[in-house]
Amino acid sequence: MASLAAKGISKVFEDGFQALTDIDLVVEPGEFVTLLGPSGCGKTTLLKTLAGFYDATTGRIEIGGTDVTAAPPEKRDTAMCFQSYALFPHLTVAENIDFGPRQAGVPKAERRARLESLLRQVDLEAHRDKLPNRLSGGQQQRVALARALAMRPAVVLFDEPLSNLDAKLREQVRREIRALQKEIGFTAIYVTHDQSEALAMSDRVVVMQGGRIDQVGRPEEIYARPETAFVADFIGAANLVPFEDLGGGRVKTPLGELRAAVPPAGNASFICWRPEDVELVEAGAASENVIRGVVRDRAYQGAHTELHVATGDADLGLQRLHVAGAAPAEGAEVAFRLGADQIRFVRSALA
Amino acid sequence: MVSLSDTAPVAPRRPRRPAFRRFTISNMLIAILLLVCVIWLVVPFGMAVLWSLLDPSVRWEYPDVLPPALSFARWIEVWNTTSLPMALRNSYILAPTVAVTTLILASPTAYAFARHDFPGKGAAQVLTLLPLVIPGFVLAIFFSALIFSLGIYSRFLSILLAHSVLFLPYAIRLMTVAFSNVRLDLVDAARDLGASPWARFRVAYWPALAPGILASLIIVFIQSIEEFAVAFVVGAPNFTTIPSILYSYLGYNFVRPNAAVVSLVLVIPNVLLMLGLERLLKSANPAQTGVKG
Amino acid sequence: MTLRRTLTIAALLTPGLGLILVMVGSVFYIAVAQSFGYYNLSGESAFSLDHWRDVLGSKQFGRSLGYSAYIAIISALGSIAIAYPLAIWMRKPFRGSLVVGSLLKAPLFVPGLVAAFLFLNVIAYHGVLNQFLIWTGLTDAPIRFQNDRNGFGVIFLQLWKNMPLALLLLTGAVQGISDEVVDAARDLGAGPLARFRKVIAPLTVQAMQAALIIIFIGAAGDFAFQVTAGPTNVQSMAQYMVFLKTSFGRWNQAAVVGVSLMGLALVGALGLAGLARLTLRGLKW
Repeated sequence: MASLAAKGISKVFEDGFQALTDIDLVVEPGEFVTLLGPSGCGKTTLLKTLAGFYDATTGRIEIGGTDVTAAPPEKRDTAMCFQSYALFPHLTVAENIDFGPRQAGVPKAERRARLESLLRQVDLEAHRDKLPNRLSGGQQQRVALARALAMRPAVVLFDEPLSNLDAKLREQVRREIRALQKEIGFTAIYVTHDQSEALAMSDRVVVMQGGRIDQVGRPEEIYARPETAFVADFIGAANLVPFEDLGGGRVKTPLGELRAAVPPAGNASFICWRPEDVELVEAGAASENVIRGVVRDRAYQGAHTELHVATGDADLGLQRLHVAGAAPAEGAEVAFRLGADQIRFVRSALA
Repeated sequence: MVSLSDTAPVAPRRPRRPAFRRFTISNMLIAILLLVCVIWLVVPFGMAVLWSLLDPSVRWEYPDVLPPALSFARWIEVWNTTSLPMALRNSYILAPTVAVTTLILASPTAYAFARHDFPGKGAAQVLTLLPLVIPGFVLAIFFSALIFSLGIYSRFLSILLAHSVLFLPYAIRLMTVAFSNVRLDLVDAARDLGASPWARFRVAYWPALAPGILASLIIVFIQSIEEFAVAFVVGAPNFTTIPSILYSYLGYNFVRPNAAVVSLVLVIPNVLLMLGLERLLKSANPAQTGVKG
Repeated sequence: MTLRRTLTIAALLTPGLGLILVMVGSVFYIAVAQSFGYYNLSGESAFSLDHWRDVLGSKQFGRSLGYSAYIAIISALGSIAIAYPLAIWMRKPFRGSLVVGSLLKAPLFVPGLVAAFLFLNVIAYHGVLNQFLIWTGLTDAPIRFQNDRNGFGVIFLQLWKNMPLALLLLTGAVQGISDEVVDAARDLGAGPLARFRKVIAPLTVQAMQAALIIIFIGAAGDFAFQVTAGPTNVQSMAQYMVFLKTSFGRWNQAAVVGVSLMGLALVGALGLAGLARLTLRGLKW
C-alpha cells in the first residue's frame, strides 16, 4: 500500500487561477520524494493540497490507504515542516514536540517515550525547556522536524524547510534530515526550488512547471535523461538547439548536421547536451559531430572553465561548454565534438 | 499501489461540499453583521439628524414614526441664541494648539525611544501610559486643585497644559513608530551621495515621519475636541467647549433637538477627520502580499 | 553609558516623559494629600483621618464603589467576549471585511456624550426600540430602559463604546499570529477550539489584558454615561466625587473618593489581567 496516492489533482483558486493541472503522484512507504520547480510552479500549492490546507478542485487523495480528499488538515495523517518552522512561540521545545501526540490523545507513557527518543535523535535534550526564540535557526528546524515526527505520520511534508538557513548550515541540516529519514524510515515529500538539494536528498524527484508535472524519476535519470527542455535547463545546465529529423539518427541543426546514437521521438523538438559532455578537438579535425565557433567569454570555475562559444548562426545564442584543464582564450577559434550518445532529444519549448 | 487503482473514478470539477457551505455561511454572517451595523450606527445617527431638523413649530411625539415637519430652524436658533459659536471658537482654537504642542513635546521622547537603547527603556515606555490609566475626572478635579494652588488663572492655558499631558501617550507612541521607520541606510546613502542636512532630512526622515506627524496631529486634535472632564471641571463656567454645552443640554437642561444639533456639530468633523486618518494609516502601511509555490 | 549619553537621553525624555511624570505625580500627590487633610484650598491644613472615616463610613460610598466595580467588570469582560470571536473571524481578509471592520470600529470615534445622546433617543420611553417592540407585539406597553435600576443602559453604552477598542487591540494581535503557526496547529490535529485555547489565546493574552485594563479603568471612572443613562438611586464613583466637590466644596472628601477610585482602577485592572493569565494557564492543556 502506498503511503500517499494522489490522482487527477487540479486546483483552481477563487480568482480563477489554475495552480495545479491533473497531478498524479504515488509515494511508497519510506520513500523520499522531492517536488522541484521554480517559484510559481505549483509545488507548494500541491503540498498544501496534500496536507489539506487547500481543497483540491478535482481529484482524489489517499493517505495510508484512506481517502482523505474531503478531510481537513487536522484529520489527515500528515505532518508538515513549515518554511518558517512555525514553532509555537509560547511553548517550550518539549511542549512543541508533545503538541501533536497530546492532540491525538496518545497515552502519557507513550508520549513521554516518543518525546525522549526524538529529543535524543535531533540532539536537543539540553534545550528541552527553552522557548523557540532562544534557539538558533538550525535548532529550530530540528524542533520542527521532531514535532512533525512525533505524530508518527504516514507522510512528513517539508515546505522548503532549509530556505531560511545560510548556505553552510543548509548543507548540514540537509544531511541530518536525510540521515534521520534513513534511520527512522519515515516517508517524506519535500518541496524545494534548489535543484542540488533535490538531487542530493531524494529517492525520486518530481519536476514541476506551470502547475503540471514535467518528469518524475530518480535524480540520476532526471539529470541524465531529461524529457523536456524545461527539465534539461532547470536541472543543471544544458544547451538546447532546435533540429530537423533527417532519419536514421541524423538531424539537421543550426550547428550543422549531427548524428545521435538514438533517433528522436516523434514529439521531440530540441537536441540537448550538457556543457561538460563536449570534447575539444583540433581545429582542422574532420570528424562527425564537430562544431566550430569563437570563444566570446570564459569564466574560470576551479574544477573547470566555462566557455561561451558563438557558432555560425548568430540567432542561436552562445553555446555553453565546460572544459577541464587548459582552456582557450577569449577570441580564440575552437572546435568541439559531441559524442553521438550524449545527444538527447527533449520535447517542447522553454517555459 | 493497491488502494488507488487506475480505474478509480475521478469526478471532474466536483465542488467540495464543506467549502461551498462555508462560503454561504460566511456570506450570511456578513449580511447579518452589516444589518447589525446598520442598527448599530444608522438608526442612532438617523434619529439624531431627524431630531436636529425638527421644525420648532411642531412636536414629534408618539406614535409618529417620522417628524411631522423638517427645517433648519433649530440649527439657526441654536447658533443665534446659545453660546455654541463661542464654544466652537474655543474648541477649534484650543484643539490645534494642543495638537501642535503635544507633537513638539512628544517628539524628543519618541526619538529617544526609537533611536536609543538605554537601561529602563521598557519601564519608561510603560510610564508614558500613565495619563491613560488615571480616571479622567480624578485627573480633572485634582488638576484644577493644582492650578488653583499654583495660581494659574488662564483657563485656556490650564486646559492646554492638561490636554497636552493627557494626549502625550498617543503622540509619543505614534512618533516612536514613525522614528523607527526612518531607514538609516537611506540616511547613510544620502550622506554618501553628498546630501546637505536639509536634503537628508527631506529624503530620509520626512517620508517616514510625515504619516506619523499627521496621524498624531489628527488623533490629538480629535481627542482634544471631544475631551469633557478637564474642559468641564477646569473651564466651566467661563470657558465653554462643545462637550460642555452638550452636557448642559443632556443634564439639567434637557432639550432634545438642541442636543441633537450640538451632537452633530461635535461628531461630524471628527468622523471626517477619522476617515482621512484611516486612509493615511493604510497608505503608510501597505499590506504585503505574495504567492509562492 | 557615558555621562554625555545619559544627559542626552535625559534631555530628550524631559519634555515628554518628564512632563507626564511631574503632572501625573503632582495630581496624584494632591489627591492623596487632600484626602488626609493637607493642601486645603481653604482653611488650615493638618493631618487628619476624619475625611477617610467620614466617607468610608457613609452608605453611599459603599454603594458607589460596588456599583462602579460592577459596571467596570461587566463592561470589560463583555467587550472582550464580543470582540474575540469577531477578531478571529476577521483574521483573514474577506470580501467586505474592511467595511465590516470600519463599521464596527466607528463608535470608537464617537465622543462619549454624543454616544449617550444617540442612545437616549433609541431607548427613550417612546423611542425607536420601544416602538419596535410594541409593533412586533413583544410588549404591550413601552419599557423603561433609561435610568434602569440595574445599570443595563450604562453597560450597553460602555459595550457600544468600548467593544471597538477591544476589537482593535485583539484584531491586531490575532493578525500578528503567522498563518503558518495556526496551520501547524491544524496540521498537528488541533480543531477550532483547541487552536483557540492552545495557540491563539495564549499568543494574544497581552492584547486581551491591555483591553481589559483600559476598558475597566474607563468604565470604573465613568461620569458621562452614568449621568445621562445610569440609575438615579446610585452614583458612580466619579459622579459621587464631582458631586462632593461641586455641590458642597468638600475637597477632602472628594479626594478620598478620588483616591479610592484610583485604587479601584488599579486593583480591578490588575485583578482582571491576572485572572486572564490564570485562566489561560488553566486552558493551556
